[in-house]
Amino acid sequence: TQALAQERFTLRLAETWGPNFPIFGDTTKRFAENVEKMSDGRLRIRIDSANKHKAPLGVFDMVKAGQYDMGHSASYYWKGKVPETLFFTSMPFGMIATEQYAWFYHGGGMELMQEVYEPHNMLSFPGGNTGVQMGGWFRKEINSLEDLQGLKMRIPGFAGEVFAEVGVNPTNIAPGELYTALERNTIDAVEWVGPALDLRLGFQQIADYYYTGWHEPATELQFLINKDSWEELPADLQEIMRVAMRASAYDMLIQSQHANAEAWASIKEEYPNVQIKQFPDDVFDAMYAANKKLLDEAAAESDMAAKIIKSQEEYKEKSRAYTDISERAYLNTMAEVE
Amino acid sequence: MRWIIKLDEGLGWLSKFCGWIACVAMILMAANVFYDVVMRYAFNDVSIGMQEMEWHLYSVVFLMGIPYALRTDGHVRVDVFYTRWSNKTKAWINIGGALLFVIPFAYLIGFYGYGFAVDAYQMGEGSGDPGGLPHRWIIKSVIPFSAIFIATAGVNMVTHAIRVLAGDKEYEGEHSAGGLA
Amino acid sequence: MIGMIMFGAALVMLMLGFPVAFTFGGVALFFGIYAEGMDLFAFMPFRIMSVMQNTVLMAVPLFIFMGVVLQRTRLAEQLLTSMGRLFGGLPGGLAISTILVGALLAASTGVVGASVVAMGLISLPVMLAHKYDKRLATGTICASGTLGQIVPPSIILIILGDVLGLPVGDLFKAAVMPGVVLIGLYIAYILIMTRFKPETAPAMPKEDEGNSRGKEILDALLAIIPPLALIVVVLGSIFTGIATPTESSALGGVGAVVLAIIYRQFSFKMVWDASKDTVKVTAMVFAILIGATAFSMVFSYTGGDYLLEDWLMMLPGEQWGFIILAMLVILVLGFFIDFVEISFIIVPILAPVAESMGINMLWFAILIAMNLQTSFLTPPFGFSLFYLKGVAPPEVRTLDIYKGIIPFILLQILVLALIVIFPEWFGMSATY
Ligand code: NA
Ligand code: NA
Repeated sequence: TQALAQERFTLRLAETWGPNFPIFGDTTKRFAENVEKMSDGRLRIRIDSANKHKAPLGVFDMVKAGQYDMGHSASYYWKGKVPETLFFTSMPFGMIATEQYAWFYHGGGMELMQEVYEPHNMLSFPGGNTGVQMGGWFRKEINSLEDLQGLKMRIPGFAGEVFAEVGVNPTNIAPGELYTALERNTIDAVEWVGPALDLRLGFQQIADYYYTGWHEPATELQFLINKDSWEELPADLQEIMRVAMRASAYDMLIQSQHANAEAWASIKEEYPNVQIKQFPDDVFDAMYAANKKLLDEAAAESDMAAKIIKSQEEYKEKSRAYTDISERAYLNTMAEVE
Repeated sequence: MRWIIKLDEGLGWLSKFCGWIACVAMILMAANVFYDVVMRYAFNDVSIGMQEMEWHLYSVVFLMGIPYALRTDGHVRVDVFYTRWSNKTKAWINIGGALLFVIPFAYLIGFYGYGFAVDAYQMGEGSGDPGGLPHRWIIKSVIPFSAIFIATAGVNMVTHAIRVLAGDKEYEGEHSAGGLA
Repeated sequence: MIGMIMFGAALVMLMLGFPVAFTFGGVALFFGIYAEGMDLFAFMPFRIMSVMQNTVLMAVPLFIFMGVVLQRTRLAEQLLTSMGRLFGGLPGGLAISTILVGALLAASTGVVGASVVAMGLISLPVMLAHKYDKRLATGTICASGTLGQIVPPSIILIILGDVLGLPVGDLFKAAVMPGVVLIGLYIAYILIMTRFKPETAPAMPKEDEGNSRGKEILDALLAIIPPLALIVVVLGSIFTGIATPTESSALGGVGAVVLAIIYRQFSFKMVWDASKDTVKVTAMVFAILIGATAFSMVFSYTGGDYLLEDWLMMLPGEQWGFIILAMLVILVLGFFIDFVEISFIIVPILAPVAESMGINMLWFAILIAMNLQTSFLTPPFGFSLFYLKGVAPPEVRTLDIYKGIIPFILLQILVLALIVIFPEWFGMSATY
């Protein structure tokens, strides 16, 4: 058993991001570093970024087939393959980060997530959170639901479906052409991530209205692990992995908070043209109703989806009641005092 | 020798058929992109499904075009020595390249591409974007199909080279590289 | 080390004259299976899929289609010969016209396969018909077709923006001056060179001996307008936001067909034949991309990327030494590796070093972009050279293209050196 304990392992990890993509890429690097140190070098993680495997949205398939032992990505990217994977990233009008982490680790979320990934021979773990994502860059102010009608916006996935329901025209634009497309009014609005990552693309130079978020209140990335690779690891290394994934997820949440705060400060200082806006009430009401309708449709289509939606709704209600008398109450107090 | 000629012509027909599909896709793609631009700009109407159709068609253009270009000798060669060589030497180079490079390469892409498409079929994969196209396995299966036709075009290179070796055909004329410009 | 041996093997195999795309693929196959086993190629469908979903590359078939239609309807010839006539008895007029048209195309696409092939189709037959030297003609076309990589919009700048975390808009603005200077130098080179060797670029013959110079200029201008208007429409659609750069290439294709109708050159057969040519050339370009992606896959999965990283760690830690050596390394690597690999493997290593020296990252990015666009032109693996060879008539040999490009490579190195030494000429500063 002494020999067995000394056995060395290397896991190959494919991430959806490019080599030095900030925050997201730092998360996997920290994870790999922690694993190696905690295991005294017995377990190593070799990270391949998108430039190497060339398949940012093929991470699911590559980990499933065992071409990679692990992946770092976001669960909602697999919506087109396995619709139920949608719910483990962040949902419009859903839980905020603390609530959602509580749901994952104490409210049954993890069990549901494994149930969805199990048939595909994979395990999935929370892999870092961006916090509340911004609602997007708009070149015109949105004063009513009317202003959204026919608006061309780059907004993918489920949030795009919600927007489509209220009259927006979701539009595909290659990421490399986004800046030019927004600058020349080929499209009217762009949804990206948050200040830290948006700043790099330069949207603040060409759009004045930066809307607050509602569609991804707690975007959680994921670690994907091929089940066979996982089962080859001895129990102690599995535990090291679990701890390291949890720690790097937490690190990403606080790094996001920090980087966004820094980036927002610099946008405020260097681009006084940028104004923070919130959608008007009629827009929110319409989007809330549209979201509800789409969720009902998803629940009607799949029992598993119905189970997850129910679990999330119930948990959100319960934990939000407490958030209301704790964080929200405190922030309200602060708003009055300062 | 008669059956070689028959085989050669049959395989040639197959590659030209690929070219026909690619040409149709080419014209449809140009129309598709043009239509999408006009609809968006003039009528403020966007369909993600139509936008995705653009890259579906564009993929068919080059994936089906590659075997066609093999038959028509459209793939660029470095001709530092090649043009100076006799028909016989060229034939042997093409036989060697087809058997060692083209066919094994196509085999691997076809083999793994088949699994790639089947996986998409079994999961019922579709677009994750609003109004996007369903049935992603269809476009993914163009990869193994392309590989099959590249392999047959590779066999075609061999049959053609055998005809050249037998003195029945020559590499000049019909089979000269490029020359579009 | 396998990666390095593989480059040597590919070079030798290429010389045998088997199609370039399948030579890359086949060599990758042998080395890949030897080093990593068959299953390495399970990645290939993913890599092909990422080419399929890279919608920016859609500009390749669309621009080629525009080029083929302009060529088949002889409108391209009309454009270039008329422009050439504007230069009167001056030799080199066609080459200068080619550079100017190339510059216009460069402003509407950032995809090199699209512009080189389109320029090849449009201007190579015209220059050859007017007894231009093959080397001068092919060099001019490759160089002006590659301008799209530095003149915005450009894929290189977008990738560098991503890798270096710089706003794309800033990069686009900073690249305009270097692009303009490069175009100016190309033209100056043609003017000077043809002064000494007028026989390499004969002046256009007079259309009609009886015509006055004024009438000749008027005729030429009238003939230029329709095809030039097409290119202006393509560009205008981008600037007004009607279309993205990629989509603008479809407007170009449809517009070329409309021009053909106006000039009574249209027939369904013409469109079908143009489509066949387009498919053939597009397939040639994409087969190279797929062969090259197999090649770079084997290179990086056998540790080639780590080896490069190790080498880069040995660069000097003093500003000027660092800049000069970094530029040399990129230039030399550009002979062999494609620019995307360089951007993603090398640049992330160089960037933090440059940043720690207080080097202005915008300036650094423009230096890299200038350098990377050269890599499309450097033999033996310069993709622009392959693409042009792919559409050139058989009498234009690979070696002609290799030799013809050398003066233009030297001009690019000159501009690179100017940006290094006199950044302020280009509206930049070397440090913060
Ligand atoms: Na360009
Ligand atoms: Na090169």
